[in-house]
Amino acid sequence: MNRKVLFIGLGAGLAVGLLALWVAGQAAGAGNTVVRYDRESKYYRIRVVDYLNEGRRCLQFSRSRGIQSSMILGEPDQLDLRYSRSMVAALALHPAPKQVLLVGLGGGSIPKFIQKHFPDLHLDIVELDPDIVKVCQEFFQFKAAASTRVIVMDGRMYLKRSSQTYDVILLDAYAGDRVPFHLTTLEFVQLVKSRLNTGGLAASNLWEPAANRFFHAELKTYQMTFPQTYLFKCGTSGNFIVFGSLADQATTANEWANRAKTLAAGKVFGFSLASLVRSEYMRLADLRIAEQPLTDDKAPVDTLRHESPQGFEEGQPP
Amino acid sequence: MTMRLGLLTTVFLAGGALMSLEMASFRLVEPEFGSGIEVWGSLISVFLGGLAIGAVAGGWLADRRPALWKLGLVLLAGGAVTAILPLCSDPVFAFTFPGEGAPLPPEWLAPSAAEGTGGQITIYQPPDLRWPALTAGAILFGLPAILLGMVSPYAARLFVHQLPNMGSGVGQVYGVSTVGSIIGTLGTAFYLVSWMGTTWLLALNGLLLAALGLVLTAAHALCRDRHPAA
Repeated sequence: MNRKVLFIGLGAGLAVGLLALWVAGQAAGAGNTVVRYDRESKYYRIRVVDYLNEGRRCLQFSRSRGIQSSMILGEPDQLDLRYSRSMVAALALHPAPKQVLLVGLGGGSIPKFIQKHFPDLHLDIVELDPDIVKVCQEFFQFKAAASTRVIVMDGRMYLKRSSQTYDVILLDAYAGDRVPFHLTTLEFVQLVKSRLNTGGLAASNLWEPAANRFFHAELKTYQMTFPQTYLFKCGTSGNFIVFGSLADQATTANEWANRAKTLAAGKVFGFSLASLVRSEYMRLADLRIAEQPLTDDKAPVDTLRHESPQGFEEGQPP
Repeated sequence: MTMRLGLLTTVFLAGGALMSLEMASFRLVEPEFGSGIEVWGSLISVFLGGLAIGAVAGGWLADRRPALWKLGLVLLAGGAVTAILPLCSDPVFAFTFPGEGAPLPPEWLAPSAAEGTGGQITIYQPPDLRWPALTAGAILFGLPAILLGMVSPYAARLFVHQLPNMGSGVGQVYGVSTVGSIIGTLGTAFYLVSWMGTTWLLALNGLLLAALGLVLTAAHALCRDRHPAA
């Protein structure tokens, strides 16, 4: 008898608690936001949310894990997130890019930008999640172009199994707030390097709002793989772009900015790529990093991200 | 009493090594197959399948002249196959999932019209990962999972002396083994993966199991006078 009362009480308490949580959740999500899409895919919970007072549409992988991609509603081809602008600086570091690979489609900001301003570039995109490709077409105005191919596959698997080579490889594969470990290691970065044409380069997005051992180890991994390396700090966004190039000689900030100016001539990017290069340019080769590089055998990404790094020995710590 | 404590320690350590091995298996396979849900599902199934076969096999063996040295031998074999896993992985991946550095296979290159309203995009579909991942997982981890699955039923047979106590005896063995598995999982996830690489993790688990096997065999030799074979 007493036990029965206890169980009923517990059950009722639980139900009330869950209801309160749900109501709180609804209230928190209210305001000037409209959820356009919210569905579980094979890999993530994909959400497309419109922030009406900002005029933005964002791609999210859960409620609070940050924004994967952002689009200005009236200007779908504009690069909205700061890091995506730094990322396309890679096109100016290469003297004449023709073949470009992007790993990680997301909301398609970078592909749309490339399609609009550089329609002659051949662009391959590798995206793990087929639902992202659909969402990108349906909600982010990502359209077909004869020069664009989308390959639905794990980025590393594609690079390993395809013999296609590129002038520029852009790495932007995120699972929520982190790069999957098999896309961080020395073996992976060497694989990327092996798929570059002569003088080619790779650029990788790293979202690391707080300095940590993983960030240093990843920079070390690029430093060890490429003869020329650069690091851009993308304003206050917490993003960094690490560039690794096969070029024989280092490119100065001025040379890079001048090429950016030439690249942008007659086009409306909506921001100055040249001044972005000037303000964010830093040579990674000048830094001596104490951390060991990450390898397939040992890449404790999640643990390292929570540990404070030893400082850089020379140059400016970012 | 010492014998029973020793058996519980054995199933505790074997349970821990099993889950540590399973965690390591994800790290070993992910660079090749990615971290998709098919890969996780395949590996978990391989381990459960191995445990199922091991449980039946271990139980069968335990009914035929059970002896501590036989359990020791099972652990020794399990340790040996675990320790050599890093050497086997690359050939097994090449066998189960061939085609490195080739032009894209034609079956991927058949463009399929995408759904959605954004226009037609040429989309290339990925290879089916299910069979390659399952086969590679079974070849690599099937045998160690079977051998480790044999430990608990065998230990239970040695642990329980009288039929009326069988329920509590078997329960204790499986309970302690599962607690070991929890420690093995958390220890690996929280500490071991950041302290050592996958190769060392597998080698360490292999060595632990092999050492445990040797200790049991030695204990059998020492205790033979007091505990004649049942």
